[in-house]
Order: sequence, then structure tokens, then C-alpha cells
Amino acid sequence: MIATVLDLVNLNKSYGVLQATADLSLSVERGQIHALIGPNGAGKTTLINQIYGSEIPDSGCVFLNGENITGLSVPKRVRKGIGRSFQISNVLTEFAVIENAIIAEQARRDESFHFFRPAFSDQDLIAGAMIVLERVGLQKRSGDLVADLAHGERRLLELALALSGTPSMLLLDEPMAGAGFEETLHMTRVIDGMRDNVGILLVEHDMDAVFRLADVITVLVEGQIIASGKPDEIRANCEVLAAYLGDEE
Amino acid sequence: MDLFKFLWTGVKEQQMLFGLLTGFALFPIYTAYADLPFWNDVAMRIMLLGMAAMGLNLILGYGGMVSFGHAAFVGIGAYCAGISQFYGLNNGWAHLGLSLGVCGILGLVISFLALRTSGIYFIMITLAFAQMLFFLFVSLEQYGGDDGMSINRADFMLFDLYNPLRLYYLIWSALLIISVILLFIVHSRFGVVLRAINNNESRVEALGLSPLRYKVTGYIISAMICGVAGTLFASWQEYVSPDIMHWSRSGELMIIIILGGLATLAGPLLGAVVFFILEELLPELLNLVAPSYAENWMIIFGPIMIFVVLFARGGLMGWVSRLAARRMSDHGVGQ
Ligand SMILES: Nc1ncnc2c1ncn2[C@@H]1O[C@H](COP(=O)(O)OP(=O)(O)O)[C@@H](O)[C@H]1O
Ligand SMILES: [Mg+2]
Repeated sequence: MIATVLDLVNLNKSYGVLQATADLSLSVERGQIHALIGPNGAGKTTLINQIYGSEIPDSGCVFLNGENITGLSVPKRVRKGIGRSFQISNVLTEFAVIENAIIAEQARRDESFHFFRPAFSDQDLIAGAMIVLERVGLQKRSGDLVADLAHGERRLLELALALSGTPSMLLLDEPMAGAGFEETLHMTRVIDGMRDNVGILLVEHDMDAVFRLADVITVLVEGQIIASGKPDEIRANCEVLAAYLGDEE
Repeated sequence: MDLFKFLWTGVKEQQMLFGLLTGFALFPIYTAYADLPFWNDVAMRIMLLGMAAMGLNLILGYGGMVSFGHAAFVGIGAYCAGISQFYGLNNGWAHLGLSLGVCGILGLVISFLALRTSGIYFIMITLAFAQMLFFLFVSLEQYGGDDGMSINRADFMLFDLYNPLRLYYLIWSALLIISVILLFIVHSRFGVVLRAINNNESRVEALGLSPLRYKVTGYIISAMICGVAGTLFASWQEYVSPDIMHWSRSGELMIIIILGGLATLAGPLLGAVVFFILEELLPELLNLVAPSYAENWMIIFGPIMIFVVLFARGGLMGWVSRLAARRMSDHGVGQ
């Protein structure tokens, strides 16, 4: 079994003169939560996009479970085991919560190209969808429309959809953004419970959550890694904190 | 077993659709009693318009693809019958098969190319393809060019179409079959993905599904349904010309859908009925008020459409379901 789930090798990405990712290498192990922190505009989302496939690096490679996936499209990468939550909630707003999860479930089972089997009334699909919703604690809202969800609940649904494909690598882009105190605690517990058998790259501004969850923390500034290590080492590194907090406030 | 259960639920839920279908099934009895056989002809035209609009609605309403050239597929369907007959093939089932094949392939090619773009570019490219096909048939002199060609009613073997009622019920059966197929497709796993793409394409990608595959497939199915409508239309009209693939016919289909209700099964059929009534009624009304303007009934129809789009969101079906919801809550049934 390969322990390294995600391997990034010398990634580069520029927008004109702006270098959003600068010769970046990083790897994530199975069962590990790897936090990526840094000021706004550091290039965190851009990096996630390159792993996810919505942006293509100018040079460098992305390996998933040892396979080079740099040239693959988003859907192919997802089928190979990438799951993602977006910084801005990206769910099916015109559908019910359970319907979101059902579509995710039929996608996971690769049963979407059926023209006569009803989807939303299928007991098998409903059962699978409920399992995913239970993992994030949304089972009570399953019948509600997404439009009626509170912000924090939408973030949970987002997480549930990312989880539903049984990914081996999860990319979480600021899952707690905009969530209240209680919601952040709940989300922290949920993410903590997901870590088995999956590598997680977590971009997050909430430092309490980051220090509670992360096995490794990498600090990104202007597309470059300026520090990487165990949470204790990073916490001790005042210079890093200064660089980070200086930009934050 | 499940299939029948689902069908039964569908019939119960789609009261408007199956109500209209029942209405069309019984209509010839009324016209026979009232001695108005001409109205059978009108009803057939409405059913064919509704059928084509239902086909377009699969991608326009459910899939969110604004294809502005779908009358081209109706025209191709009609020419499949016309040209086959020109070469001596008069079997209606063969015409239908040919029409399904040609519209399927054309739908594949056109959508595959057009779906590289989106928004206004998609509208323009689909319109451009439709215009190309329109002018192609205008230029084909051997098939009548601009003037079109007169044809005989196709030979559907068991259905002798020169018995007007058999043609009527052939068209009705096709409409019923297409309605049931669409009922299944819309609720199927494929159908919900198509609707999901309309709602949020990037979420569908994030689930590991490639939107293009679903959109192209939806487009092909929709083109084939329009082709069937066109083939039957040729027999109804006993005449085929490029006029039925003119861009304004595509616009008419879109108007019918918006009027009836996007992304509803009954909407296009209801829209076709109401569109026809307005088309007949407004000139008469104008004739009473201002006879010299009777030709320009669109002057009144336009504002009605704007009113529907702005105030009756969801078209007539949206309005009907809101009324039904209010009645439910008045009687304390809902909630
Ligand atoms: N599509 C794009 N075109 C041009 N510049 C971009 C694009 N996407 C991101 N950027 C720039 O790249 C930098 C990194 O952005 P981003 O990855 O979103 O930062 P973060 O997620 O760390 O806040 C920012 O300066 C941003 O303006
Ligand atoms: Mg970001």
C-alpha cells in the first residue's frame, strides 16, 4: 500500500507577472491532515485548483496514489479519488438536500447514464445518500431545500458531497469560512472523523481549528512555501506568525 | 413491476399532462357530434407543435441549453418522409426510422460543436446551423426548393392514414409514447443529472460527471423527438417545404415552451394549445376593434408574452401550480 496519497512536484503557475505558485513541492500521506495557511492572495486556492484540475500548472506534476494526473480533466480526477469542497459554497441550490446527496451517490456508483431508472425515489440511492448526510450530521435536514439551509449547513452539505465519492484525497478550501463558533466546533469534529484512509489538504484561516486538526502545517506566502512542519514547530516559529498575522490584520 | 408503479405515480402527479392527453383522445368524439371535422385537423396540428416543443423542452427547460434552431430537426424529419417518397419509399415506419437516425446524427454533430461554447454563442451557433440547413433545402431544386414538394400520406400499414381518424390517433399515440418516455427520462438518473447541470455545472463536474456527455445525449434525444414530430407533420400537411424549418418556427417553439412553463412535462403541450387559441383569437379580436391591424396580431401577442415572462414566472404551469397550492392551503390540506 502506498502511504503517499498526493505528491506535488515543482508546480509553477503564473498569471501574467504574478507568480501564484512558485516551484512548489509538497506531499500528503494517507490518514494525515495537512494544513495550508497563508495570507489572502498567497495562492492557496490556486494550488487546490491545480490539484483538482480546474487550473493547469505551467510546469510540474501532480501525482495521485503514484499516478501522474496532471493532464486529466476534473471529472476524471474526481473518479480517480479527488474530493473537493469549495471556498464559496458550490451545491445544487434548486434541489433538496437529499437530492444533492442522491446525485452524488449515483455518480459514485457510476449509474448516472440510465434513462429509465428513477433517481429520487430509489431506495438504494436514498440509503446511500443518507449515510453520507449522517456523516456530517445533516440527516435531519434531508428533506429541506438547499435554499432553506443556513450558511453553516450549506458548508456541511458541501463537505458531504466532497466525501460522497469515497475519495482518497480531500481538498478542503476554507470549510469553516463564515461559520459561527458552534458550527466551527462541529465542523472540526466532522473533519477529525474523516481522516482515516484519506489524505486531507486543509486550507483554513481559523487557527484554533488548524492547530487542533493538522498533523503537518505548511505556510504559503506569495506562492512559495516559507515553512513546513509539525504544529508545534510552526507555532514556535514566530517569524512565520509575524508574516502571517501581519498580513491578516 | 416497479416500472408500472412509477408510471402510475407519474400519471397521478402529471394531472395536467394526462388530462390534456385524455382531452385530445376524446376530442374527435366531440367533433363528430358537433359535426366539426375541421377541428380534428387543428387538434392534430396542436399535438404536433406540442410534441416538438416537448422535445425542445428537454434541453431548453430541463437542461438549460437555449437551442435556437430546433425547427431544423422538425424540417429534417419532414424531409425524411418527403425525400424517401420522392425515391419511391412510402413506408411510414421507414420514414420514422430514417428520421430518428438522421436527426440523431445531426443532433450529435451540431451539439458536439455548439456545446464548446455557451450562453449567447451557443444560441448563435445553433441558429447558424439551422439557417445552413434551411438554405440547403431552399437550394435543393430537385426537392422543390423554396416551393417545397407535395407528398402523399405515408403508408403506416395498419393505419390507413387516408382515414382521417387513423392519422389522428397515430399522432396521438406518438404524443402519448413521447410523453411517457419523457416522464421516465426526466425522473431518471440521466434526467436529474441534466437538471443538475442546468442548476450548477461545476458541482456536477465535482461529482465526477462530465457534463458534455449528458448535454450531447439530451440534445440528441430532443432532436429525435422533433424529427418524429416533423415526419408526422409531413403526412398531416401532405406537403413539405423549407418554411417549417424557418428560424421563426424555432422561435415559435420557444415561445410555446415559455408560455406553457419551462421544465414541466405538460407545459409545452398546454403552451401549444394556448398559443393556438391566441393565434386564432387575437386576429378576430383585432378585426373587431381595428380591422386594418388584424394581420399584426403579434402586436398584442408580444405584450402578453412579456407579461407571462415577467409576472407568471414558470409560465402557465407555474401559475396553475400556484393556484393549486393556494387552494390546498385554503382547505387546510397542505402543511
Ligand atoms: N484566474 C486568475 N487570473 C488572474 N489572477 C488570478 C487568478 N486566480 C487567482 N489569481 C491571483 O493569484 C493570487 C492567488 O490567489 P488565490 O489562490 O485565490 O489566493 P488565496 O486562496 O491564497 O487567497 C492572487 O493574487 C489572485 O489575485
Ligand atoms: Mg482562497
